[in-house]
Amino acid sequence: METLIKVLDMCKIYNPGENEVRALDHVSLEINRGEFVAIIGHSGSGKSTLMNMLGCLDVPTSGSYYLNGKDVSMMKDNQLSEIRNQEIGFIFQGFNLIANLNAIENVELPLIYRGIGKRERHRLAEEALKKVGLEKRMGHRPSEMSGGQQQRAAIARAIAAEPPVILADEPTGNLDSASTQEIMEILKGLHRAGRSVILITHDNEIAAQAKRVVRILDGRIVEDYYNSE
Amino acid sequence: MGNMMEYIKMAFKNITANKGRSFLTMLGIIIGIASVIMVMSVGDGTANAMNSEVADLGTGQINVYCSDDSINAEAWITPEDLQAVRERIEGVDGATPNDGSSGSTVTGKGEFAVQLSGGTEDIQKSMNYNMKRGAYFTGADVEEGNRVCVITDNDAKRLFGSDDVVGMDIEVTINNITGSYRIVGVNQQKENSGFVSYTYEGMPVALEVPYTSFESFGWESDSFYSAVVFANDKASGEEVARDIIHLLETRHQCAGEDYYQIQSFQDMVAELNGMLAIVTTFISCVAAISLIVGGIGVMNIMLVSVTERTREIGIRKSLGAKTSSILMQFLAEAAILTIVGGIIGILLGLLGAAGACSLMSASMGSTIHPGIKASTILGATLFSCGIGVFFGIYPARKAAKLSPIEALRRN
Repeated sequence: METLIKVLDMCKIYNPGENEVRALDHVSLEINRGEFVAIIGHSGSGKSTLMNMLGCLDVPTSGSYYLNGKDVSMMKDNQLSEIRNQEIGFIFQGFNLIANLNAIENVELPLIYRGIGKRERHRLAEEALKKVGLEKRMGHRPSEMSGGQQQRAAIARAIAAEPPVILADEPTGNLDSASTQEIMEILKGLHRAGRSVILITHDNEIAAQAKRVVRILDGRIVEDYYNSE
Repeated sequence: MGNMMEYIKMAFKNITANKGRSFLTMLGIIIGIASVIMVMSVGDGTANAMNSEVADLGTGQINVYCSDDSINAEAWITPEDLQAVRERIEGVDGATPNDGSSGSTVTGKGEFAVQLSGGTEDIQKSMNYNMKRGAYFTGADVEEGNRVCVITDNDAKRLFGSDDVVGMDIEVTINNITGSYRIVGVNQQKENSGFVSYTYEGMPVALEVPYTSFESFGWESDSFYSAVVFANDKASGEEVARDIIHLLETRHQCAGEDYYQIQSFQDMVAELNGMLAIVTTFISCVAAISLIVGGIGVMNIMLVSVTERTREIGIRKSLGAKTSSILMQFLAEAAILTIVGGIIGILLGLLGAAGACSLMSASMGSTIHPGIKASTILGATLFSCGIGVFFGIYPARKAAKLSPIEALRRN
């Protein structure tokens, strides 16, 4: 199996000095292409920090991070933006759709920043929305959609540009159980289709639906196992 | 940069999403640009109207005066001096002494005060003369000292009730000596306009006569305190004036004595225009300050917008927007606000200028067209554009520099 993510001895320290907070404490982790990994931990465990690192939203204090073969731990802001745009599809807990754009315009956003032309962009966005079953909601604004639909639109946005990594941060945290299952099915479907999916959650039940579980506590990985089928 | 169109579209989307606020933001720019355009158009229009009316008076007219000291030095201007001016100075069409006298006349219509202007036949070169009947008196009349005169149609009607008066005589009493002047020509009285008055209530009857005709009333007519030189359009008034002084000083051997003073029409017009330009510039500056205030308004709203949309900025950044993309988006928004505001301001300013000019035309009796210059409009557009970019930079940079994690965390 090809390694997609390789984290080596990563530390992230906030407020260095006397009151320093060691959010990540010598974390090493490898994730292969096509895996479905749940990173689980309660709040304050460091899982959000790990997700920021994996999502190239922030750089570690020390250690290294190779994403798809590229060392991103030393990158500057604009390079990180480019990596996020090309390598990662984000799914957030709060959906994070832009309120005054409709579903298809939201899905087109990462494609705009990738510099894809209008026609092709529209085609890709439409395709992605179809995959999540929102073909009838393309012209709706977020306020006109249910939570589950909004999250599906956000998934469409994450997969439209076909990035190697789907990074989902508590994607079901704001949803009822029916919508939760719906979203989980879509994520599983993405995994079956060969995508690499990383799911960050505090919920054991959600984590149980992934193939592999990485448990984090006080900034350290304390468990790393595969769920039995 | 290839995505510029996308950023402009995004900016438009945001502006139209907050229509009321966008309009209020633009209002400062609209008022600023409109007032600058209006002031400059009305100012230019007034200057144009004034210039064309004053040009009608005869822009090539140069008045020459002798100073008080010159009389002792026998430096007053002689007919020979004027002959020399006419012949030797390039660009001079004519020259006449400016001699005058006043008297009175009695006709069937009553008693009238009379103002006689004595000169040569060159007087007709002033004021873009328009003869209505007869002809101007001639050089021969001047040489022989004939008592002939030219009268305006208005004065003819006052004296005789008709302007068909060529060939009639007017009995004029000057210094208790009475003599008759034969009317050889009737010229058309120009109408008063907003900037130039030709007639006034109780004004004496004006006759233009050969200066030599005063000799029969006991006057010497061999030297004059003032004279008028007519330069043609091609000549520079300044150069002609300098040449006149030089020639007079040479002829009277009084170089450096400052006996002669010159006042050219061009100088007066230039002075008037200069004053008007100062006033226009001053008011424009005041209006420009309002533009700057408008720009600060744009900056303020953009800052509010950045704060409000922190989360959106975070989302965009997490999706791969670079610092420059965010910067461009917000700059485009500020620029569009000010450019659209500028365009509305230009239109309102032009409308306002047209309104103000028609009001002024009505009240002054002149025709004033707003002086709309492409440079004014271009300048205003560029200025408002510049304001948008200048005042947009700070909020845009603030937005672009946000860290995506911080921005996403905020609600």
